[in-house]
Amino acid sequence: MTPAVVYIAAFSLLPIVWAVALTFFDFSPRRTGTPFLGLGADNPFVGLEHFRRMFDFSADAPLEVRQFHIAVKTTLIFAFLVVPLNLAITLPLASMIESVGRRSRVLFRTIFFLPVLASSVGVAIIWGFVLHPQRGLLNALLTKITGEYTVISWTADSSFIVLGLPVALFAILVAYLWQDIGYNLVIFVAALQAIPESVKDAALVDGTSAWQRFRYVTLPLLKPTILLTSILTMISAFQAFDLFQVMTDGGPGQPGQEQTRVLTLDIYENAFRFQRMGWAAAVSLVLFLIVFLISRAQARLLRVEWEY
Amino acid sequence: MRHMSRRLAIAAAFALVVGACSFGTETPGTQAPTGSGTETGMAPVNLTIWSHRSDAFNGAIEQAATAYTAVHPEVTFTFEDFAYNQYIQTLQTALPAGTGPDILQMFGTWTCSYSGFLAPVPQDVMTTEAAHEAFYAAPIGGYTCDDTLYGFPHEFNIEYGATLVNTDVADAAGVDWEAGWATWDDFRADALAMTETIDGNITRAGYHFTAADGLSYSFFSLLVQSGGAMLNEDATAFTFDTAEGREAFAILQAMVDDGIIDPVLFNDEENWVGDCYFEDLCSMGLVGPWVVRDYEESAPDIAAATTYVALPPNEGSSAFVADSGWGMTVSKDSPAAEAAWDFIAFATIDPENAAAFNLTSGSLPALVANGEGAGRDALVAEFPHFAPFFEILPDGQYVGNLPDRDLVWYDIAYPHLLAGLQGVESVDDMLAAMQREANETFG
Repeated sequence: MTPAVVYIAAFSLLPIVWAVALTFFDFSPRRTGTPFLGLGADNPFVGLEHFRRMFDFSADAPLEVRQFHIAVKTTLIFAFLVVPLNLAITLPLASMIESVGRRSRVLFRTIFFLPVLASSVGVAIIWGFVLHPQRGLLNALLTKITGEYTVISWTADSSFIVLGLPVALFAILVAYLWQDIGYNLVIFVAALQAIPESVKDAALVDGTSAWQRFRYVTLPLLKPTILLTSILTMISAFQAFDLFQVMTDGGPGQPGQEQTRVLTLDIYENAFRFQRMGWAAAVSLVLFLIVFLISRAQARLLRVEWEY
Repeated sequence: MRHMSRRLAIAAAFALVVGACSFGTETPGTQAPTGSGTETGMAPVNLTIWSHRSDAFNGAIEQAATAYTAVHPEVTFTFEDFAYNQYIQTLQTALPAGTGPDILQMFGTWTCSYSGFLAPVPQDVMTTEAAHEAFYAAPIGGYTCDDTLYGFPHEFNIEYGATLVNTDVADAAGVDWEAGWATWDDFRADALAMTETIDGNITRAGYHFTAADGLSYSFFSLLVQSGGAMLNEDATAFTFDTAEGREAFAILQAMVDDGIIDPVLFNDEENWVGDCYFEDLCSMGLVGPWVVRDYEESAPDIAAATTYVALPPNEGSSAFVADSGWGMTVSKDSPAAEAAWDFIAFATIDPENAAAFNLTSGSLPALVANGEGAGRDALVAEFPHFAPFFEILPDGQYVGNLPDRDLVWYDIAYPHLLAGLQGVESVDDMLAAMQREANETFG
């Protein structure tokens, strides 16, 4: 038994086992329960009841069940928007940065990486200033451009829908991408630099255009990096919490139809605000399964069986 | 041997987790006596107090502790405060683990949810019957669970009954705020006069009542004033979806329809009422007088121009739905419970000390002695913002010990009422959903 194993057992394995155990109980830390870890008595064993309730899609399902459904939907939409948008921004940007001189490359890389170092709560507060309806920079800019006093509620108007999606979700998406792209950018720049010059030279000798070299040489060789970044980005998008809590706290929208309620926020609220620890543990297990299955699917789709 | 190592490792891992969860080996909140005692003959004791973060309230608690230490030098204090949400989480993890402090600031309506982890008030400190005579029904109600008393309130939490009024803005708009308002029509006319717009958008709201507390309490109180009730007779279900509920909501809706407030731009997320009022974006705002203490340093000009004016009654009634309020309880695991109760009695039962607490925190008194007669006059002389609230204190109807008050207030009633005012949910759907979801909290 090495210290590392003890450490992992103490801080990873046991909490996971405890969380899984809680999924079988209607457990609230406010109730005393039995002397054995507080389980039983006031915190009764309910078996798979939490998971059964998750499949109650009736209109009069309990509020926490309807909130779980909307949270699953919003989380999936958010994560599946973040990954392609992140890659669509970072990959071309990385190519451009890689093509400039060494000093400029370091400068650009630093500039784009800086937001990654910022605290998510700080980022959320900054974006709150930008998007504030009366004092926000964005509305001030629109007022300047249009010449009319513009007051748009970017994060609290549930009737403000664009392309079928709530604008509040887009607002968080923009803040999230602003903070997150630097991470993938640095990985892509490093991956681009690792592509052997001989391969590019061979393509050049064959008379390929810049686009053809990117499409048929660079992109395939970046496939392992794209796999890595897309999995990491997807996982981090599923785990996004701070921006949602600080910028919108799940709203706007009435209970059960909250437009930015994601699974992490749902877990937090149930576990720590409303003391439904058993239900929250069950939801967190579902989040784990979703992330696990999607990561496996990504790995299978983007797998390569060669190296350079 | 190998099995033994495994067992040892598992035991070590378990010990690590338990150790990590217990914030250290020494029980927080108490320290072993460090000296040989004082002239009082009692061993030195350190009491740890946990509270939610609020400059005004934290200052009032520390002031009470300083006054207590002056009389009892053997007792010292350690203060720890937490942001509201973090405080709830900390209570939930620390209390079951038996690692809470000696004294916990508790919101009255939460108390019964945590009563399994709290020490009952010793009979020699005060009996339940005596406490119900000494304190107003609403604040002490929260601390009484199945006829057992678990603590004492130091405030009467009131978020309805009177509104902040910026007298500079009112004077400029020609509003005679000193005359008050006899009807909601009168109130709306003046609030509209104090509303400012540019290109049809509200730049200064006439009356901000659409934050979470303000909106929930407004609806609940108007419901009661209209002849309805929060709960059915045996207190097992909410009664929002009623004719009285519709009447209450119509009064609120009329203010939105008149253009006094835009609930999309002014709410908890975008423009919380305290920020809105003290940043000069609202002419009037619905929030308790404690907010003045919180902002008087950062916005002295607006604080100086601020007064509270009573809201108009509805159907001749000034009844309001009252919550319990912040107060103090003792952890059942505290080894210094005797000293803890002595301090709490000093700070909350003694009228002079309780009044000092109310003045520093800007909170209304929970003690009847400080809400009537000379006690009341002394408080009003020091903090005139209390005056209109004293008129209605006896009209407060305690909401009762709900299974989850925060869930009903902030995650069911508030978002539904806001959606109703924003026009994204019909009144019928809103009231029906609100009632159904609130009733689910009864289990």
